[in-house]
Amino acid sequence: MATILQSAVGSEALIHLHGLTREYASRAGAVRALDQVTLTIERGEWVAVMGPSGSGKSTLVNILGCLDQPTHGSVRIAGTDVHQLSRQELDRFRAETIGFIFQQFHLIPYLTALENILLAQYFHSMTDEDEARRALASVGLGDRATHLPSQLSGGEQQRVCIARALINQPPILLADEPTGNLDAANQEIVQEHLRTLHRAGHTIVMVTHDPEMASLADRTVELHHGRIAAERRADLTAQK
Amino acid sequence: MKRTQFSLGFIVRRSMVHRRVRSLAALLALTVSAAVATTLLTLYVSLNRQLHQQFRAFGANIVLTAPDGSTLPSETLATVRAIAGSESRIVPFAYAVAQTADGAPIVVAGTDFNAARAMDSWWQVSRWPNAAAATPGSPVAAMVGTRAQGFLHGDDFPLTYNGHTLALHTEATLRTGAAEDSRIFIPLAAFTAWTGQSASTLEIQAPGSAAQVEDLLHRLRAALPGVQVHAVRQLVESEGRIVDRTRSLMLSSLVLIALTVGICVLATLTASVLERRRDFAIMKALGSTQHQVALLFLLEAALLALAGAAAGYLLGSLCAFGIGAWNFHATIPPLWQAAPAVLLLNLFVALLAAGLPMRILRTMEPATLLRGE
Ligand SMILES: Nc1ncnc2c1ncn2[C@@H]1O[C@H](COP(=O)(O)OP(=O)(O)OP(=O)(O)O)[C@@H](O)[C@H]1O
Ligand SMILES: [Mg+2]
Repeated sequence: MATILQSAVGSEALIHLHGLTREYASRAGAVRALDQVTLTIERGEWVAVMGPSGSGKSTLVNILGCLDQPTHGSVRIAGTDVHQLSRQELDRFRAETIGFIFQQFHLIPYLTALENILLAQYFHSMTDEDEARRALASVGLGDRATHLPSQLSGGEQQRVCIARALINQPPILLADEPTGNLDAANQEIVQEHLRTLHRAGHTIVMVTHDPEMASLADRTVELHHGRIAAERRADLTAQK
Repeated sequence: MKRTQFSLGFIVRRSMVHRRVRSLAALLALTVSAAVATTLLTLYVSLNRQLHQQFRAFGANIVLTAPDGSTLPSETLATVRAIAGSESRIVPFAYAVAQTADGAPIVVAGTDFNAARAMDSWWQVSRWPNAAAATPGSPVAAMVGTRAQGFLHGDDFPLTYNGHTLALHTEATLRTGAAEDSRIFIPLAAFTAWTGQSASTLEIQAPGSAAQVEDLLHRLRAALPGVQVHAVRQLVESEGRIVDRTRSLMLSSLVLIALTVGICVLATLTASVLERRRDFAIMKALGSTQHQVALLFLLEAALLALAGAAAGYLLGSLCAFGIGAWNFHATIPPLWQAAPAVLLLNLFVALLAAGLPMRILRTMEPATLLRGE
């Protein structure tokens, strides 16, 4: 029964993390950022990752986005063992599958807000300036298109980063504290974007410290010292 | 801004303008490297050429003479020209002893003034006679050695050979400090018409190393069995040795300087690429392929190399000219062949400098690069 389910790609869970361990060698000794994390995420699911600072949340998201390799364990996304992919295949896979919202925004410093979004379009397929402008306007930055990241506030940079991540409508959105620097009004805008994306069937993995944000997710995973300490399903607590 | 404007070229332009201090530093390094290479190449080629020209001033390095009392077969000149090649200079000489009006014996030489002028440019001649301007019936234009002048009365004088008298006119005077000073030189054609004798000596000035001249000597001997072929040996050997030694000295310093400059450029450009490793990782995260990012960095390096080569070529040519004027009292013209050479050199160094860090970045996880280590 289980084998049948697994071989049928369509019915397999979208993301399978198995025994994920990530160690960093440092002069002070090895740091274990992730420790035997096993996690399954369904297609279209919205997962919130919570936990104290240094518990391995960003590490987990980076490995999920194929920006980092685990020391041990396997990552299967959409039936593909990511480890088996060549670097070129991985580049293509990232372009087509994953959108990032980084904790540190990571905008290209010499490109304007608009051009940073065009860049994502360019690497994905082709640029569409009107669409990029709309994306910028939708995060309340329509009038800041020609500003460089250094001319934007932290919250504004974060919103550019969000617009950039959403522009290609990635099947999987990885968001590392997407509302960390935002005021209530902008947080509401971003929440609405995520809800829309979720309704459209996209899978979202979101790191947050904010219980209110987490409550939007289908499921919350709690990391402690690189291990999954707790898991809560929203429908179990909220519905009944 | 139009849609089509967003391309790798556009990103490169933005990156270069934004990081203008860095770009300028890299451009400067590439300009200096191109300038140094241009200067050295131009100096090397030009001095090499002038070195040869200066040694040529010492005259013939091979002399062909007919056996005593006879003249060379008429086809000898053509044979020698065919063997020695167009790079060599050949001057024929015919000699006869004539009498002045006073009955004093004097050596008259028939030669090719144009050829002699090219080979023996160190001869001090008041004004080389133009053999082509001779008009039939008028006195034959003569170049008179300063000592021979003492035997003559006035610029127009007759000489007698074997009962035939020839009217001559002093067109020029000659001083070499050697045997030529007591001779009278006239065009070979007029000499032959007068004396019935053709050339008995060919002086050859062949370019090239000692070994090449030696080789030519053997070939001439083989082709002209009845003729005596001598090397003006001392000159041949020292010329070859000095030219070879100077050339290898210049070459080795060229290579050394180029290496030093190349390493500096490499370090500057490599640092410039490495400091953008975060951009590299961001682009990877946005789904760029390795190819696209590599192209981005290589394009920038190539642009800098191109601009640096152009500026460096101009600067280097100017430098070579200046060095030539100040140190060698020689006019060193720009060497156009240096332009493509310097461009290739610059491109090679720049692409290497961009390519090496790309390979390193490639092996690193983007997450590590994003942390900004
Ligand atoms: N490259 C690295 N070298 C050494 N240690 C690292 C490295 N990257 C992460 N770590 C360590 O791994 C642990 C987890 O880091 P991570 O960034 O995943 O934490 P986090 O849960 O995202 O924290 P925060 O909420 O502060 O962002 C931390 O202790 C961190 O110091
Ligand atoms: Mg983090």
